[in-house]
Amino acid sequence: MSVDEIRTSKADELRIVNKPLARHDAAEKIAGTTRYAGDLAFEGMLHARLVRAQVPSARLTRRDVTTARGLPGVVAVLLGEDVPNNEISVDVPGQTIAVGALKARMQVLATERVRFHGEPIALVVAEHEDALAAACEAVEIEYEDLPVVSDPEQALAEGAFAVHEGGNLLAEWNIDLGDVDGSFARADVIVEGEYRTQFVDHAYLEPEAGVSWIDDDGVLNLRVATQVVEHYRDIAKILGVPDSKVRVIAPYVGGGFGGKEDMTVEPYLAIATSHTRRPVRMQWTRNESLLARAKRHRNHMRYRTAAASDGTILAQDIEIVSDAGAYAYLSALVLLYSSVHACGPYRVQNARIRAKTAYTNNPPTSAFRGFGGMQVVLGYESQMDELAKKLGIDPGEIRKRNALRRGDRLPVGQEIITEVQLAQTIDAVRERAGEKPEPSGPRLAVGRAIASNMQSYGRLVWLNDSAAAWIGFQMDGSLTIRCAVPDIGGGQASSLAQISSEVLGVDMDRITVHFGDSALNPLAGTTTATRQLLMSGNATYEAAVMLRDQVLAAVAEETGQPVEALSLTPDGITGPDRTVSVTLALQICRRRNVPVEALGTFFGPKGKEVTRELQGERLFPDFTFGTHLADVEVDLDTGQVKVLRYIASHDVGRAINPLSVEGQITGAAVQGLGQALLEEIVMQDGVNLTGGFFQYLIPTAMDVPDIEAIVLESGEGLGPFGARGIGEPPIGPPLAVISSAIADAVGARPTTLPITPERVLECVERGSR
Amino acid sequence: MFVKPFRYERAASLADAAAALREAGGAAKVIAGGQSLVPMMNLGLLDLEAVIDVSHVAEARGVSEEDGYLRIGALTRHLDVQADPLVGAHQPLLAAAASNVGSSRIRARGTLGGSLAHSDPAAELPLAMTALGADYELTDGTTSRTVAADAFHLSYFTTALGEAELIASIRVPKLGPGWGWGFREVSRRPGDFAIVAAAVLVRVAGGGIVESRVALAGVSERSLRLGAVESAVTGARAEDLPGRVGPIEGLDPVTDTSATAGHRHHLARVLTLRALADAFVRAGEAA
Amino acid sequence: MKPATTTDMTVTMTVNGKSVTRVAGGHVTLLRWLRDEAGVFDPKYGCGEGVCGACTVLVDGEPASACIVLAAQCEGSDVLTAAGLAGPDGELNALQRAFHERHGAQCGFCTPGMLMCATAMLADGRTRTRDEIREELHGNLCRCTGYQPIVDAIQDAQGVDR
Repeated sequence: MSVDEIRTSKADELRIVNKPLARHDAAEKIAGTTRYAGDLAFEGMLHARLVRAQVPSARLTRRDVTTARGLPGVVAVLLGEDVPNNEISVDVPGQTIAVGALKARMQVLATERVRFHGEPIALVVAEHEDALAAACEAVEIEYEDLPVVSDPEQALAEGAFAVHEGGNLLAEWNIDLGDVDGSFARADVIVEGEYRTQFVDHAYLEPEAGVSWIDDDGVLNLRVATQVVEHYRDIAKILGVPDSKVRVIAPYVGGGFGGKEDMTVEPYLAIATSHTRRPVRMQWTRNESLLARAKRHRNHMRYRTAAASDGTILAQDIEIVSDAGAYAYLSALVLLYSSVHACGPYRVQNARIRAKTAYTNNPPTSAFRGFGGMQVVLGYESQMDELAKKLGIDPGEIRKRNALRRGDRLPVGQEIITEVQLAQTIDAVRERAGEKPEPSGPRLAVGRAIASNMQSYGRLVWLNDSAAAWIGFQMDGSLTIRCAVPDIGGGQASSLAQISSEVLGVDMDRITVHFGDSALNPLAGTTTATRQLLMSGNATYEAAVMLRDQVLAAVAEETGQPVEALSLTPDGITGPDRTVSVTLALQICRRRNVPVEALGTFFGPKGKEVTRELQGERLFPDFTFGTHLADVEVDLDTGQVKVLRYIASHDVGRAINPLSVEGQITGAAVQGLGQALLEEIVMQDGVNLTGGFFQYLIPTAMDVPDIEAIVLESGEGLGPFGARGIGEPPIGPPLAVISSAIADAVGARPTTLPITPERVLECVERGSR
Repeated sequence: MFVKPFRYERAASLADAAAALREAGGAAKVIAGGQSLVPMMNLGLLDLEAVIDVSHVAEARGVSEEDGYLRIGALTRHLDVQADPLVGAHQPLLAAAASNVGSSRIRARGTLGGSLAHSDPAAELPLAMTALGADYELTDGTTSRTVAADAFHLSYFTTALGEAELIASIRVPKLGPGWGWGFREVSRRPGDFAIVAAAVLVRVAGGGIVESRVALAGVSERSLRLGAVESAVTGARAEDLPGRVGPIEGLDPVTDTSATAGHRHHLARVLTLRALADAFVRAGEAA
Repeated sequence: MKPATTTDMTVTMTVNGKSVTRVAGGHVTLLRWLRDEAGVFDPKYGCGEGVCGACTVLVDGEPASACIVLAAQCEGSDVLTAAGLAGPDGELNALQRAFHERHGAQCGFCTPGMLMCATAMLADGRTRTRDEIREELHGNLCRCTGYQPIVDAIQDAQGVDR
C-alpha cells in the first residue's frame, strides 16, 4: 500500500491504526510495576521540602534558618541567595526558538516579597522525612503585611495596589470585526448575560514529585512528573551551567492536564542536588499541590448577542476579564485562546471582543486542559440557548443555522480549512438520546440541553512549533523509536508505535518506544495543547515513511524489481514475484550502506506573530468540533443535581486508537462535569481555604453516569491519517450543557460555576416567579 | 502539615489501655480503627507521645441482646454494625446510619466507639445515638459509669470522657412496636461528610404520631434533639407534617466551603420533613 | 522521655505472600512503610487523607486506605497489593486482563488502588449491577478515565472463573 493510500484509506484497510488496541504501557500499569516519579529511590537519597508563605501579600522582613540548619538530620536549608540565578523566566515552555515579547519572571525562592499564599521561601534538605518536618517548622519567617488584591476587577481599578511593578494589567487582546453597534441597532433580539467560572485545580491523582542525581558524566539528571522535558534549559539557566549539563527524564506521569506543564519540583531538586552533590527526592503533599500549584483561570465574561428573528447571529459584543494570579505564567496565552474562541463554532460577521487579564494575590493561574478556550463555552452556549428560547427556535436548529463551514473565517480572521461536522454531531447526540425522561419522583424536575463547541489543536502557529522522532530497525526486524514526548496517560507513546507499525509492517509487540528523555531522544516539544498527535505523530510518520522508502529502494536495486511494485508488510518486502524477509532486507541495506534508521522532523504550520489587536490569517493549525447532550434531574428542595444521561459526539478526523479516543472523551467530559457542579478552589482575601481532597471535590464514580461517546471520522484533520486532536475539546461543553439543562428543568439559568445546590435553589426560586 | 513522631503501644485489654492512658497523663490517645485519628496525624494536627492501640483487644466486640435493648461492644466495626442481623431486626436506624459512614474501606476499619469518642458534630453515629436515646458504658479499667449520649457529646470533638477513660459498650433501645424510623443525609458527594443529617423515630397510632424523637447533625457543635419539632408533630397525620414543621429554631450552623449557614438551615427543615415522612411510612408498615 | 523516631520498633507482615520485617515508628503509616521500607511501591500517595483510594490495599482480606493505617497496627497481618495479583510468572489475573482489554488505565496512577477495591468486591462472589459497582468504587478517585471503562472491566470480571 502506498503512503498516500495509507493516509486516505478507509478503516477496514488499515491494519493497526484505527483499531482498538490495548495500549502497550497499560499492561505494566495494571501489573503495578510502573515506576512513577515518586517511586524511584536511591541509596543515601535525601529528602527536600519547601517552606512556603503563610500569607498572600507581604514583604519578607526576616528569614532565619540558623536553628533549622542545626537540627539533627538536616543537610541544608537554602534561601534565594543560595540559588545561582534566582529567577525563572517563562517565555513559552518547550519551544525550540525563543519568542520574545511575552516574558514573565518569578523567583525560585522569594527573597523580599511574597505575592501569594504558598509562595516558596526556603528549601529544606534532610536525611529523612521526620527531620524534614522538624526543620521546616524551625525556619523563622517574619512578614510585613501588604494590601491584598483579591480579584482582577479590583486589580484594574484606579489606585489599586500594584502586585507587580508596572501595574496589574498583564495582557489584553482586542478583536474588532465589522459594524457591531450598527448590528445591535438593527437586531430583532438582543440577549445579555454575565457568566463566571471559578479557580479549578488539576487534581491529578499523582501529586508533584521527582528525583534528581548527578551521573558519572557530571550531568544533573532530573526524573520528574512533567509534561515538558525541555525545561532542562530553564534549569541550566537557574544553575548557571551549560544546557548540555542538564537532563530531564519524564517517566509515565500520573496525570498532567496542563498542571505539570510549568516547572514544579524541578528547580528545587536541581538546587538541592547541585548543592549537596547527592540524590534528592521531593514529593509535594496534596495540600501543597492544592495550595500552590497554578490553577485554571477564573473568567468573568459579559456577553451581548444580537440576532435576527430567524436566529442568525448578527453580532457579538464580549468582555472577558481573567485572574492571572500572582505571577504571569501562561496567562497571556490563555487569554488569547479565550479571545479567539469567544464566539464559538459559529459564523459571526460583526464582533467586538475585549479581553484583559490582571495580576492579583491569588494563586498563579496557568495551563489546564482547554486553556482558556473552554471557559468561554459557558458564555457562547448559554447565549445560544437563551436566544433559542427567546425566539422560539429549536436549540439544535439555531446552532445548525449559525454553524461555521469550510471557508468561513473566525472573527480573528482565521479561515476554517477543514470540513466542519457540527451539524452531524448535533444530530448524533439527539438521535441517541431519544425522548426526555420523566422525573423519578415528587419534588424532582428533569431538564435536557445540548451544547456545541470548538477547540483548537496544535499550538499557536507563530510559536514555530516542531517535533522530531527517530526510528531504527534492529537487525532482527524489531523496531526502536526514540522521541522525547512525555506520556501523561493519553497514549502519547503508544500512538507512535501504532503509526510506525502501520507504515513499516512491524507487529506492536516488536516495537519499543523510548520516550521522555531530553538527553537521549530527539525533542518533540510539550505534551500540551493537544499537539502531540499532530506533531510527534507526524514526525514519526515522516520518519517511518523515510525509513520505508530507504529499505524498499535498497531491495529494489538489489533484486532488480521496480520500487513502485514493492510493499512492506509483516511478512516482509513483497513484490510481484517474490517476498524478501525483513531480516534479509536489512542485511541488504547494510551491504549497500543504506541506513536502517531515519530521523523525521515535522514543522507545525507557520504564521505571523500577533499584536494586541488580534488579527491573523492563521493562529492555530485547526479545530475540533463537537456537541454534548445531558439530561439532569434536580431535587427542588435540596438543590442536588443528578446527571441522568450524558452523550458526547466529536469529529476526530481519524481515530488512531478508538479506545484511546473514547477514553479522552469520557475523561475530559467527567472533568468538565466536575467543574460544572463540584470543584472550586475557595479563596478569601488571598487565603486559600481548600486544604485537601476532603474539600476539593472531584467527581467520584457515583457522581457521573456512563458517558456515551459517538465518534465521527471525517478524515479531515491535519494529524497523521487525517486525525484531529481530541485531548482537550470534550472538556468545554459540560459547563454549558449542565447549566442549560438545569435551566430547562427549573426555568432559570445558573451563570456562576460551580453550580452548587445553593445556586440551584436560587434558580428554582427565580424560575418559579 | 508535619507529622510529629510518637511511640506505639498495643493494649491487651481495655483496662490495659486505660492504665496506659493514665500513665501518659494526657500525652497519649487511644487508636482503634484510626480512620479519624490518622488523617489528623497526616495533617500535622497531633502532638502526642504515644498512641495506644486497642484494635486487637478481643473483648468489647459484637452485638448482644438485653431486655429491650441491644448491647454493642465499642470495638465493633461500622461494617459489622451495618450487617448485624440483630441490628437489622431491632434497630434499623442504626444500620442505616452506619452504612452512611465514609467508604467501605473506612467502614471496614472504623469502630463505633471510635466514631463516638471522636464526636464530629456532622457524624452519623453520634446523631443516631442521640436520636435513639442510647447510653454509653465508660470504663477507666477499675470502675464503670454510664453516660447518656446526650450528655456525652459536648462540643466539637469534645466529650465527657475522662483522661483515662474509654467507651466499653453502647446500649441502644430496640425499636418498639408501632415505631418507624427515618434517616436522611445530604452531602456534596455520596460518602462525604454530611452537610446536614436527620434521624427520626415516630410511633404512630390511630393514623397520627403519638410519640417522636427527632435529631439533627451538622447544625451545631453537636447533634441536637429537636424537642420543639417533636411537640409540633404530635397528633400529626402524614399530610399534616409540612404544615407543622416550619423553619427550625435553636440551630447555629457554620458557613464553610461545603455550604453556608443559611443553606444548612434550609436543609434542616427539608431533611427533617423527609425523615419524618419516611418514618411515618415505616411505622405504618410495621403495624 | 527519649523522643520517638522512625526506627523505634520493627514490624513483621506478610506482604504479597512474603514475610517482611522492617523498622518502623509509631507514627509511620502502612503506606509509608510499604513504600520506603518494604520496597513495595505500587500503592500510591495521592492525598494522605484516606479520600482518594490510590493507596488501597487488602489487610487480612479487608480493603484499607494504607495512608490512614499505622504500620504497627498491622503486625502479623497479611497484606496484598496490586503487584501481588499477577501469577508467579507475571501473568495478569482475570481482573487485570479485563482492565487491560477495557482500557481501564490511562495514566495508571489510580489503577493499583482500583484493582484492590475491585478484588475486595469480587471476593464475595456477588454479581453487582453497574450502579452497585459505582457505589463500591466511590472511595477510589480517578481523574483520567471518567470511571466507565473501570466499571466495564469489573463487570467483565464478575462472570469469570478465577
